[in-house]
Amino acid sequence: MPGQIRESAVTSAARPRESAFALGLRRLLAKRSSRVALVILGVIVLAGLLAPFVAPYDPAAQPDIVALKNLPPSLAHPFGTDPYSRDVLSRVIYGARLSLTIGLLATLVSLTLGVAYGAIAGYSGGFVDGIMMRVLDAFLAIPRLLLLLGILVAWPQLSVGALILFLGATGWFGLSRIVRGQVLALKHAEFVTAAQALGASRRRILVRHLLPNLISPIVVAATLGVAHVIVLEAGLSYLGIGVPQPLASWGNIIQDGADQVATLWWMSLFPGLFMVLTVMTLNILGEAFRDAYDRR
Amino acid sequence: MATMKHIRLLCVFLGLTACTGSESRSGANGGTLAISTGGDPDVLIPSLVQTVQAGQMTDMIYDRLADIGDSLNILNDAGFTPRLADHWTWSPDSLSIAFHIDPRAKWHDGQRVTSSDVRFTFESTMDSTLGTPVAALIGNIDSVTTPDSATATFWFHRHIPQEFYDATFQMPIIPEHIWKGIPPATWRASDAAKHPIGSGRFRFVRWTPRTAVELTADTGNYHGAPKLGRVVWSIAPDFNTALTRFLTGETDFFEALRAENIPEVAKHPELRTKSYRGLSYQFAQFNLRDPANHARPHAIFGDRNLRRAITMAVDRAAIVRSAYDSLALPAIGPTVRAYPTTDANLAQIPFDLPRAKSLLDSLGWRDANGDGVRERRGRPLEFTLAVPATSKVRVRMAVLIQEQLRQAGVKVNVEQLDFPVLAERERKRNFDAVLNSWSTQPSPGAVRGSWGTAGSRAASGNNYGSYESPTFDAYVDSALASFDPATRKSYFTKAYDTIIQDAPAIWLAEPMPTVGYNARLKMAPLRSDAWWAHIPEWSIPADKRIPRDNAPVGAPATPAAPSGQKSP
Amino acid sequence: MLRYFARRLGQAAIIVAFVATISFALIHVAPGDPFSAVLDNPNVSETVRQTLRAQYGLDKPLPEQFARYIGQVAKGDLGWSFSHDRPVIEVLGSALPNTLLLMGIALFGSFSLGILFALVQVARRGTATDHALSGLTLFLISMPDFWLGILALLAFTYWLPIFPVGGAVDPVMHEYMGLGARFADRLRHLVLPALTLTVLAAGTVARYQRAALLDVLPADYIRTARLKGLTEREILRRHALRNALLPIISLIGLSLPALLTGAFFIEKIFAWPGMGLAVVNAIATRDYPLVVGGVIIGSIMVTLGSLLADLLYAWADPRVRGH
Repeated sequence: MPGQIRESAVTSAARPRESAFALGLRRLLAKRSSRVALVILGVIVLAGLLAPFVAPYDPAAQPDIVALKNLPPSLAHPFGTDPYSRDVLSRVIYGARLSLTIGLLATLVSLTLGVAYGAIAGYSGGFVDGIMMRVLDAFLAIPRLLLLLGILVAWPQLSVGALILFLGATGWFGLSRIVRGQVLALKHAEFVTAAQALGASRRRILVRHLLPNLISPIVVAATLGVAHVIVLEAGLSYLGIGVPQPLASWGNIIQDGADQVATLWWMSLFPGLFMVLTVMTLNILGEAFRDAYDRR
Repeated sequence: MATMKHIRLLCVFLGLTACTGSESRSGANGGTLAISTGGDPDVLIPSLVQTVQAGQMTDMIYDRLADIGDSLNILNDAGFTPRLADHWTWSPDSLSIAFHIDPRAKWHDGQRVTSSDVRFTFESTMDSTLGTPVAALIGNIDSVTTPDSATATFWFHRHIPQEFYDATFQMPIIPEHIWKGIPPATWRASDAAKHPIGSGRFRFVRWTPRTAVELTADTGNYHGAPKLGRVVWSIAPDFNTALTRFLTGETDFFEALRAENIPEVAKHPELRTKSYRGLSYQFAQFNLRDPANHARPHAIFGDRNLRRAITMAVDRAAIVRSAYDSLALPAIGPTVRAYPTTDANLAQIPFDLPRAKSLLDSLGWRDANGDGVRERRGRPLEFTLAVPATSKVRVRMAVLIQEQLRQAGVKVNVEQLDFPVLAERERKRNFDAVLNSWSTQPSPGAVRGSWGTAGSRAASGNNYGSYESPTFDAYVDSALASFDPATRKSYFTKAYDTIIQDAPAIWLAEPMPTVGYNARLKMAPLRSDAWWAHIPEWSIPADKRIPRDNAPVGAPATPAAPSGQKSP
Repeated sequence: MLRYFARRLGQAAIIVAFVATISFALIHVAPGDPFSAVLDNPNVSETVRQTLRAQYGLDKPLPEQFARYIGQVAKGDLGWSFSHDRPVIEVLGSALPNTLLLMGIALFGSFSLGILFALVQVARRGTATDHALSGLTLFLISMPDFWLGILALLAFTYWLPIFPVGGAVDPVMHEYMGLGARFADRLRHLVLPALTLTVLAAGTVARYQRAALLDVLPADYIRTARLKGLTEREILRRHALRNALLPIISLIGLSLPALLTGAFFIEKIFAWPGMGLAVVNAIATRDYPLVVGGVIIGSIMVTLGSLLADLLYAWADPRVRGH
């Protein structure tokens, strides 16, 4: 259960002197735990990026479906092989690529939707804002997994692209609330009123000041969001409604061995470990980002 | 027993005094057979049964007029033994058979079984509002008459070798006095279906959905009480749970072991495995008709040569070895080796990847754009192979085929569908290819419905791929009409040869069913079509009894909730 | 207070209405007719088909279908479950107590455990214990529910078989047990899933509570207490904890969605006959009304839970009561 519960307590609008992002990053890097997390995450991301060069075997190839299937970890296959004689290490590496891609792209979708929705609600204010917030309350009341189950049972056999869209479309509710809060705060901030008095256009001020103020909540939401999507995708794949064969994602590999967990333990253990490691580093970074910006 | 020991430990821990309840209550009976199974029965009315669980239960609760022998000889009555009928008489022209009901036979509610129960069973089966697939199988029976309360006479349209089989095997007899007042359309949901009354050697006790079905010995049965006191199906929601319950001793029997489970079972000294000849075969079935427009041939699979080329590109032996280890043989056609009418050496399309490739080349399917997938006139050689998600072994075979065909330049998309959805697609002929399995009956005649023209044309027919060959049909019909075993076999061989060379499917595996059982059980032989057929003869020796064997015969003493199903 | 209560109740009702609308949209935006598989199935009896048609008014225009649907949901009618052949509300209703039991135990357990962790961490700020527990709670919040479930299942039913593998009771023997044995039987089946869910949820609580404690520690009144000569431990116990418990109440409301999600996976893995298992299995059988019913009931649970938490908070915190 990744800790997305706690919504970031966002400080009221502050004037961006130097880049808030750079400041946060500097504070973040001052912590040893975040540096370690960055390195680990970097290695996993790099492995995923360079999968074709790093992976010892073709992740979809079935070299010998009789003699090489279900092999426990060995030197030739450090993570063992699966029931199709595919190399699990190679699949975990390619799985990193797919799981991270899904996490990243789905989060991008969420960020876009969340910022747009929150900004519109906050900027419009009044009646429109009221309606939009009530709708948001309803979406927030539906646990994300349940909402996805409802969607995926209606659209079975989704492509990876569609899966990304749906994962993204169900992950922006929390962020948009924060964004709306920021926009509202900015609208009434003293320096905005002051700038207005000096003749600047209200809209221009908002746009100029909004983005810097939003960077911190966005970075936090993005980091934690990617972690959450990775776990969600794995859960859906585990339930059999995620990524299709012969593609490898972490959840998918676990699902391939789920009917024989006791004998093929390496198929649950290794992808699971990589997933936990990735999610942990993302959570560390997310919290570190939050602390770095909160302290401002 | 780890389970009981643990209960006791917990009892000590909690300081509970009433914990010994189940152990102190001992009764003199044959003990409890606990069977691990993966799902609820669908319905406990014999003619409506579709799941294997319900088949097992109804076979225990109800009786047929006569039982088929272990050799599954379906020709006339030579292989059959008396059950509800204690004897029978053939008319001189063999167009009718008079069954004499055993005068001792009683329903579980105490009423006598009469010939009018038999007539009622037949007539309700033929009632279209009941909607049972059995009706299509007994079309040769014209009617059932009841000259007296102990005699039921079956009248047939034509004299065929399996008319006795048709009259007995397909219809366990149900009590008229229970079902008479209920419209057949509502049987499935009726209260009577929740508390089935039969004449078999076990009577129904309870059905707790998603938990258990329990039967108990009918001690006063006319064929004698069974040796066991109770049979309980412990219902687990998935394969792993069912298997683990067996491995930990929570149950005594598990019917669906897979190759990879055998070493696990071997680690338990008290557990055994046993394989027997099954009656099912699995295959990747092509749709020969366009899924969108059934009047047109399928864009890919309409071509016999292409089907042969694809079959040639699949290493069936390796796939079967990979998916089943030694627990299956490569299938040899739309049949099983257990039939006396099957020639196990039927000629097959051999695995030959280079030849498959050149054949595809010569058919005009070439990979011009270099993406690894062949195409012809702009259409890629790509299709979807649907497979039931619940069958892990079949999913596995589908993914293996996917990779093998990739090497031949054919792209396969494996689509895991859930069983009801898949069945629906098949029924509507809305698929490219499907990884299917048929569990056949003791009669090889079932092939008429699953691969014959009749089964293709009828909306309710089982020939989902619409393979239609007059030659095949003619050979099958000739085979079924002949009384001489040798002639039957030779006609069937010709029929199988025809269909194998036409390649409407890739014949994959003929599984060798393997059961796991606790050594405390003394089992009788496992019959190919129904391993459970002889459960009434199974026993548990007195020195092998464990606490669960001592539960008294009959319903639980203090049921927490009304037993049986509480659904409307 | 009464006004506040009424307002929050109204909000909750609106949320549920929205959720029902979203569910309706889900059914109708789906490609193809989600009911066609059932309506055309020869094995489905005519009565069921007619009930379905009548229930969903499938031949009526969309707005009318919508009005009908909302009306039915309001009456607690969530449709007919094909795979169970019973009304959805009955299927979910009979499974709900098991889910509530699991979630209730996990809620209580995880909050106790989480608060304990946080107290120990704050009392030993900066020590190795604090860091170790931080690492542990971080590990727990990063753990996918189903993965920990699989590991727990492997460890305690296969490798070290001390717990039964699934279900809520021993299917064979339960009915023959005495009262005490039945209780023990239920307990034995409950331990592993409840413990797994507890551990999963405890990480979040601990991290949240630790932050909350650290937030109040530098407060003025605690400085006063320190001046009065109270030890660190006494301050923690008497003052900081009491003040940091308030946010815990709102955390109860906030943690419900995650707890429910966790329960879905845990129920699936341990075959615990609750709502999650029913819904997850309904995905496999494409039992559409049951899945959507699960979405609605799950959302109502979450909404009611946070409503309750809010009221509790208002009752505990006079500052809110005034508003």
